Formats: sequence, structure tokens, C-alpha cells
Amino acid sequence: MYRHSTASAQRTVAVMKRYDLIVVGAGPSGLSAATEAAESGMKVVVFDENSRPGGQLFKQIHKFFGSKEHHAKVRGFHIGEELLREAAAAGVEVELDAAVIGIYENKEITVRKAEHIEHLKGDTIIVATGASENMVPFEGWDLPGVIGAGAAQTMMNLHGVKPGQRILMLGSGNVGLVVSFQLLQAGCEVVALADAAPTIGGYGVHASKLARCGVPFYLSHTITKAEGSDRVTGAAISEVDDKFRPIKGTEEHFDVDTICIAVGLSPMSQLLKMSGCRMSDDPKRGGQVPDVDEYGETSVTGIFAAGDVSGIEEASSAMIEGRIAGARAALRMGFISAEEESARQKSFSADLAGLRRGMFAPGSKGRMPEKTEEGLDISVNLLTKGYLSDDEVTKYPGVVKKKGLHPVIECSQNIPCDPCQDACRFNCIKVGNDITLLPQVDMGSECTGCGMCVASCSGQAIFLVNEDYDDRSASVTLPYEFLPLPRTGDSGFARGRSGERLCTAEVIDVKTSPAYDKTNLLTIRVPKDMAMKARFYEPLPAREADA
Amino acid sequence: MIGETMDNDRRIAEHPVLGTIEKGRLVSFSFDGRTVEGYEGEPIAEALKALGVMVHRYTAKKNRPRGIFCAIGRCTDCVMIVNGVPNTRTCITPVQEGIIVQTQYGVSAKDGGSHEKI
Repeated sequence: MYRHSTASAQRTVAVMKRYDLIVVGAGPSGLSAATEAAESGMKVVVFDENSRPGGQLFKQIHKFFGSKEHHAKVRGFHIGEELLREAAAAGVEVELDAAVIGIYENKEITVRKAEHIEHLKGDTIIVATGASENMVPFEGWDLPGVIGAGAAQTMMNLHGVKPGQRILMLGSGNVGLVVSFQLLQAGCEVVALADAAPTIGGYGVHASKLARCGVPFYLSHTITKAEGSDRVTGAAISEVDDKFRPIKGTEEHFDVDTICIAVGLSPMSQLLKMSGCRMSDDPKRGGQVPDVDEYGETSVTGIFAAGDVSGIEEASSAMIEGRIAGARAALRMGFISAEEESARQKSFSADLAGLRRGMFAPGSKGRMPEKTEEGLDISVNLLTKGYLSDDEVTKYPGVVKKKGLHPVIECSQNIPCDPCQDACRFNCIKVGNDITLLPQVDMGSECTGCGMCVASCSGQAIFLVNEDYDDRSASVTLPYEFLPLPRTGDSGFARGRSGERLCTAEVIDVKTSPAYDKTNLLTIRVPKDMAMKARFYEPLPAREADA
Repeated sequence: MIGETMDNDRRIAEHPVLGTIEKGRLVSFSFDGRTVEGYEGEPIAEALKALGVMVHRYTAKKNRPRGIFCAIGRCTDCVMIVNGVPNTRTCITPVQEGIIVQTQYGVSAKDGGSHEKI
């Protein structure tokens, strides 16, 4: 299905190959752009320097946020598979192990394949090269064992190799949070998550998943040293002052074999700069980015930028940006009419606007609001410790007390996500048309305990609680994505939102289903007064369980 | 440590989301003169990581050890001598039966020159 270039590939091309559209990069944005253009009738080729298509999507094993129309609650690698199917169906050619190394005048490009270079021409070009990871310098940063967060994902999620046994994560943006959770799922220990910023940068729900597993957050802390002579054997972190300088006497040491860096991404925009596009230095978009119009078209007519290369955002936005650029390229080349294009763009821009809303939207970067859109206080605990305190949690509209079984939705930040409202067949959960609003629980609806809402929440923030399980106990159903999967009858501990052990808990039900897509539903029995506190289950250590 | 069987705690036996991760057949290759095992097609760097090898090379000027950093072929920290070719990015070069992998010192093998070739 894909062409891989090898040393034996044809070396001479008599006539310069020409395409209606050349796409650089087979990630979420590039594949979407290519599909949109090919569906419009264009002859499209996508070049990617890697030997697998999909960019970073195949390393994303968590469920995505967004609206259900746009892959929400679908795991990243499944989205990757879908994009590849769509591109193949549309007739897109994907050439792998083929690095575009130059874009010249008249949209001529050079591609390096194995030991030779080819020269081609595109009538339009879409650059979707994505981003590369940032680094932060510190003593010992070059030691084996200091790795990028992307490297950790590559090792564990593509190749099944643990990045390390004990890990310190640097960076509390969504990448740092998501990769930390994936490290736990891979069987590694995350000893701490540190960030120089005073508040957690990523979604509160991602932080909460870590906090209840017992991962401590060190905000306003930076790494001062990676210890070890030929590999990492430890790390030291210090608290920082308001100018991000380490404060003497606050140093703390951790025994770790791996230090994982997740301190942001920078657009890989070198090709665009080379092609003569007007560039800007825009810290809000992540660094050197091309000046683009609303369709991603650069200052050079017919050359477009889509996805992270034109500003760091989520993969969901990158896919829509790709579609937008693809449709515009089709219009430029006369493959679709102005009316057709305008209709498509209208729908794409509405989708994009939907994803770019809420407190983590690109426009609100660096400005954390004090109130939600509903006028509720944003939890300070969530921003600094990674969890909602027991008294804060009751303020939010999804957290209700009701007789019998009902969902408790611990969703407290306005992020664009709404799969929960479609999960319940009885319309018990309402977000409304504005997908950033906090979900509400309909007090009149009956809950059958099907658990679809629990499994549908990408933030794992929905629980089913029954405070009237029996005379003395309550039941709590929680999402569980770890192995070994506990069994009915097992005993262990219930943990609170902060990860502290609350009480012993008995597993009374374990549900798995293809509809839950690997999110298992664990129901535990706890004392009544723990119903609104117990949010995670910790099995007994193997030794105690045998005793 | 080197040369032990593949059955160790550095590989994920079963993953809660991914299940068992598909691998090629188990093959032998040479690492610094010793026979070790890895799965065909997986990057050399991953096979070495699973064997507990952390140091891929020592830098030319300061003799600092380096290992995997980006794992996707961008940073060139993980380069080694593979089949006699120095500066080979091991994170994107697949394991094949019988390949010869050597730790790189500067841009050479340890003895200062001779790169083992197949």
C-alpha cells in the first residue's frame, strides 16, 4: 500500500514528475489535507521521512477530546488507522522513507530517498511537517536516561519497551500529563512530575488521573541536576522564585533511572522559510511560524502550512487545518467551484472554532481565568496539586447527590469535549450546544448502571456512585486501565483524589466490553462516608494478597 | 546483563490498551563482540534498551556517554557503528539477523579504526 524507497529504487527520471499537490508530512494534518484534495480529484503525493505513516498519532493510546463528530473518545492510534484508510480510499500516494529536503522557486522540490535525490514539481504544496520537542538545559542533561517525552511514547507504545523503571517527568502540559499516565500503564513508576510554572499547564482531568494514582506534583520546581556517571541514577529538583531561579536549600533528590522531558514543542518550519514564505517569531504559536491566512496559505501563493508547523495545537485541530488547506488547494487549481469550496470551508471553520474554545484555547494561552464560563471558581487545588479537594468538587454541576445509582461527573474546567452527553441513552447528561460547558446531571433520569458514560469520558472523570448500596456501604464504579485487572471478590484499598489510602475496598464487579474500548469498569464497595471520596482502587501488593 | 534472554522486566509483556505488541521473529546479532538477541524489524536502539544497554557512544571531544534521546531519528544522539558504518541512527535502523553493532567512540570503534564488517 505504501512505497518505501530503497537504494535499488529508480535513480534517473527523464521527465520531472509533476503532481497537482505535494504534501510534506504524513501526520494527522498532512493526511487530512491529502485526502481532502484527492477526494476533490487532485493527483496527490505525500512524502514522509519516517518509515511509518501517521506522524505521532500511533503513539497516542489515550482517548481524544472534542466532539463526537471529530473523533472524540476515540484513541489516537485508531484515528491514525482511520486517516490511512480514508487517504487510501481517496487514491492518495504515500511515499515513506522519503525526506523533502528543499522547496525552490516555482514549487519545485527535492526529495531524498535512501542514497539518491529526486526532483519534482507540485502545482500546490502543503507543508505539514509538525513540530519537534523542546529541550531544557541542566547539569547532566546529556546523560543516557534523559529522554524526550516522545521517545518514551515511541519505546512503550510502538515497541513495547519500558523507557525506565523509575521516572521523573518534567513538564505539566498535556504531553507531560498524558505520557506520565501512559508510563504508569506500561508498568513504570512515575516518582514525581515537576514544572517551573506555578500552575499545571494541561487539562485538570489528565492531572487528576495521575494524582489519584499517587503521583506527586511539584509546581514552581525545576530540575537542577541529572546524577550519574554513565547513565542517570538520580535527579535533583529545586523550588524556583518568581524569576524561575532555583531557591537555595529547597533541593530534593529522587532515585530515578529516567528523566523525561515534556517542555513544549517548536514548529519545524525550516522548509517554509527556505521556500521564501514570510515568517514571524510568535511565542504564542510556538516559535518561527509562517504568516498564513485563514486557509493556511502562506505569502507564496499555492504554498500552504497546516498543523503544528503553523502553530502548536492539538491533533484534532491539525486534522481540520489539513482539510481547510486541502480544499483551498483544490479551489486554486480549479478542481472545485467557489461555491463548493465556500460550503466546505464554512463547515470546517465552525468545527475549528468549536475546538478552539475554552480555557485552554490557543487564544487564552498564559491567561488562566479565575471563573468557569458558568461563573464557578476554578479549583486552585486542581491547578497546583492536580486534584479537586473534597469540598471543592461539590460545586460543579456534574457532581450531584441523589438516591440510588447515579453518575458523578468531576468535570470542572471548560474544555471542548462532549461525548458524555451522547453516552447516556436516557439523556441523563447534558452539555448543550456549546461543547466547552460543564456537563450537568438530569436529576429526573433513571441510571441503569450501563457505564457507557464512564467509559466515554476521555478525562476519566465520570464515576457511578450508589450511596445506598446496603445499610453500611456505598458502591463506586470507576474507570480502570491497568493490568492485572482486579477480579470480583478481590480486596484492596480505596484511594482518594489526592492518591491517599482511605479505607479497604472490595471489588464487587468488573466489566469489560468492546463498547468501552479498553476502559474497564471496576465497582468497589466502600463505607458510606467514602462514597464521595473514593476514586481509585489499589490492589494489595502481591505479597500481602498471597498471605 | 548483556546476552540474557528476552524475558525480562524491560519489555511490556501485556499492555492494558495495546494488548500484546506484535514483534518480528527473535534473531541474534552482535553487540560489541557478544551475541545478543532482538526482534527482527524493531529499531536496534529498542533492542539494546530492552537488554539494558544505555550507552551508545562516547563524544569525540569530551568523551561523554550518550544514549537514546528522541527515538525518532532527529537528534542523532543514539548513533553507533552498524555493519562498519559509523554515525548510524540506531533508533530508526532495524534489527536484522547477524548485524554487527559497535559502541562508537568519537566517530570510530574502540580500537580507533577497525569497524567490523559483515
